[in-house]
Amino acid sequence: MTTTARTAAPAAARRSRTRHRGPLAVLVLPFTLFFVAFFVAPIVYAVVQSLFAVRSSGLGLGPPTRSFVGLGNYLQVLSSGDFVASLGRVLVFSAIEVPLMVGVSLTLALLLESGRARWPRLFRAVFFLPYGVPGVVASLLWGFLYVPSTSPILQGLDRLGLTVTPLASGSVLLSIANIALWSFAGYNMLILVASLQSISGDLYEAARLDGAGDLAIIRHITLPLLRPTVVLVTVFTIIGTLQLFVEPLVLRPLTSAISSTFTPNLAAYNAAFAGNDSNTAAAMAVVLALVAFVFSFGFLRLVNRKGNRAW
Amino acid sequence: MSHPLNPPGRRRRRTLAVTATTLALGLALTACSGGGDSSSSSSGGGSDDTGAASGAPVELIYQSWVPNIDQAVDAFNAAHDDIEVTLETITAGPDGGYAKMLSAVQAGNPADVAQVGYDSLPDFMTAGALADITDHVGDAEGDFTAWQWQSGVFADRVHAVPQASGPVGQFYRKDVFDELGLAAPTTWDEYYAAAKAIRASSPDRYIAAFAYNQAPWLIALAQQSGAQWFTVEGDSWKVDLTDPDTQRMAEFWQRLVDEDLVKVEPDLSNEWYADLQAGNVVSWMSGSWAAAILEGNAPDTAGTWAAAEMPQWTAGEHVSASWGGGSANVVLQGSAHVAEAAEFALWLNSDPASVSILNSVGAGWPAVADHSAIESLQDDPDTFAFFGGQNIYDTFAVADANVDTSWKWPPLVSTLYSSLTDNVKASVDGGTPLVDAFAATEEDMVAALDAKGINVTS
Repeated sequence: MTTTARTAAPAAARRSRTRHRGPLAVLVLPFTLFFVAFFVAPIVYAVVQSLFAVRSSGLGLGPPTRSFVGLGNYLQVLSSGDFVASLGRVLVFSAIEVPLMVGVSLTLALLLESGRARWPRLFRAVFFLPYGVPGVVASLLWGFLYVPSTSPILQGLDRLGLTVTPLASGSVLLSIANIALWSFAGYNMLILVASLQSISGDLYEAARLDGAGDLAIIRHITLPLLRPTVVLVTVFTIIGTLQLFVEPLVLRPLTSAISSTFTPNLAAYNAAFAGNDSNTAAAMAVVLALVAFVFSFGFLRLVNRKGNRAW
Repeated sequence: MSHPLNPPGRRRRRTLAVTATTLALGLALTACSGGGDSSSSSSGGGSDDTGAASGAPVELIYQSWVPNIDQAVDAFNAAHDDIEVTLETITAGPDGGYAKMLSAVQAGNPADVAQVGYDSLPDFMTAGALADITDHVGDAEGDFTAWQWQSGVFADRVHAVPQASGPVGQFYRKDVFDELGLAAPTTWDEYYAAAKAIRASSPDRYIAAFAYNQAPWLIALAQQSGAQWFTVEGDSWKVDLTDPDTQRMAEFWQRLVDEDLVKVEPDLSNEWYADLQAGNVVSWMSGSWAAAILEGNAPDTAGTWAAAEMPQWTAGEHVSASWGGGSANVVLQGSAHVAEAAEFALWLNSDPASVSILNSVGAGWPAVADHSAIESLQDDPDTFAFFGGQNIYDTFAVADANVDTSWKWPPLVSTLYSSLTDNVKASVDGGTPLVDAFAATEEDMVAALDAKGINVTS
């Protein structure tokens, strides 16, 4: 009985698929069109652009010519000390920000869902609120707080004899990490909370009956079940940090510690919009995309090395 | 639970990732001028057109970032039945406005007339983005200051109508200087002495900011010292930022920075505005148009300011410099109405009423040669009151007459600006000599020009 059902099912599905091909196509078409137009096409266009260069001759005051240079732009980009340094900088930033982000959002989620927190709904909303503030606004806001002449906090600290310079070259990355944490920890917390709420209460009850304490429950029940979500949040954060852009762009006018090539995205932006060199910008963008790809998939490979190991 | 990731979530995030990497290009593509179908604005309201029987007026789009320049555009529309200009306010050129214009030129649907700084005209020539308007405006050459007109002339063909320049002078808090028994410094030695006296007078007070973010300011200082960073030798550019003139300027400011006599902070920043309002920064060397910025941002200090020429390297001289040259109006390559666009650009910048408006909205020092008919230059009560009754335009007339007009702007000026500020920032930040920052900028420029296929030596 079950065997026949099993073999019959795919055939039936195949038949119904054929029958529904027309309506299916209609339903999928809008998505496909927009996906191709606004996702695939720009990528292809960027890759094509990155293989060309616009060159002048003589004094450079005549009309330029556009020519195919193969991987020339990539060689130029990768041999530029500034761009390589910017890649290194976001990797350092990533190394600071990722553990911080995952740790903070996980702690917040566990505290809110511990069942003992007061007004968990209110605090969930409060922690999530900064995510609703656009990145540019958040950076402007923090920019004011980071500059001594406009920051009540720094002025207060100064009166106490503590001179803090958040935008000095030694601390600017941490200051940016703080903005990013403030903006996104609540968002990541919410993803973790959603996942926490899907864990069956029976498991906790059973563990408690077996004599497990709070920490043991977190360690042996919650965290293993939360693992896929934690991995997800980590990958989000890795990609997000490598693409660091808005914060340095907004803070740049305030400090001597942020150059026009501070992060790869900032370098690409300046190449395209200040330098009118969209070919180099495209090459930078492709390089950055590849690095993000390598790191996020590298991380996934790492955590999934042996089947479904705990961590 | 065996799937490590929630697939839709991952997909969305990755979409986001790659989309962001291509965003720059996407924006560049969509940055075309957004059609002029709603141009029947109120300015054309006086519809009793008596003689315009030749059909609908030609519609032009003008891109500019000069605040309140719409007043001058409205004046043009009121005076012309056959041309209707719509102003499109865009981001300032170096902040993305130029990228927008150049992308539109590439895409084949540019605005007709656009605002371009003298410093960026060679860049636009390099991109092949300027229409040749010699046949339409060539006869007007005599109406403009010679050097300003020449900044738009390439290989004897006119590609721009000059609007205004930014002769540099010192704006200073006369009340503070008076209180300390100081006059406006006339030489750099006096400037140094004044900086010391001002620094000693109050723990938070500095004569000025060392604006490491401001390439045009650094360039003006070098220019005034006598530097010629870019010269043409035959068919090749010669780049020289390590000349003695640049060096003496760099060493002078190095001394001020080292002795904590200037405040190392970016100008036109929140921090700097706060210092200006609080009287912690008591002077600013900037273009003539900066008067409007001071009036707008430090209104409480009205009446306490004055303007003077730049300090001199040799006593008794009047050498001046310009802030980024100045600003011009160009007809972009691909405009369907080159003749009308050129007519508009010429009228906007030579009609006395229009020039008077431009001057009072802060466009800069008028490029027209004859200033006698420019009303707002003769009497500008609000501005003069802010400067304690001083006619500051007398000062800038002298400054404008003494700008080194042989200074040449190279192609890739945006690279020059970002490289210069990056290098000066690094020097300030890391405590390395300023002179080295200029040397590094020279190297960057040579490499960038060479990579573009442009002939260059150092």
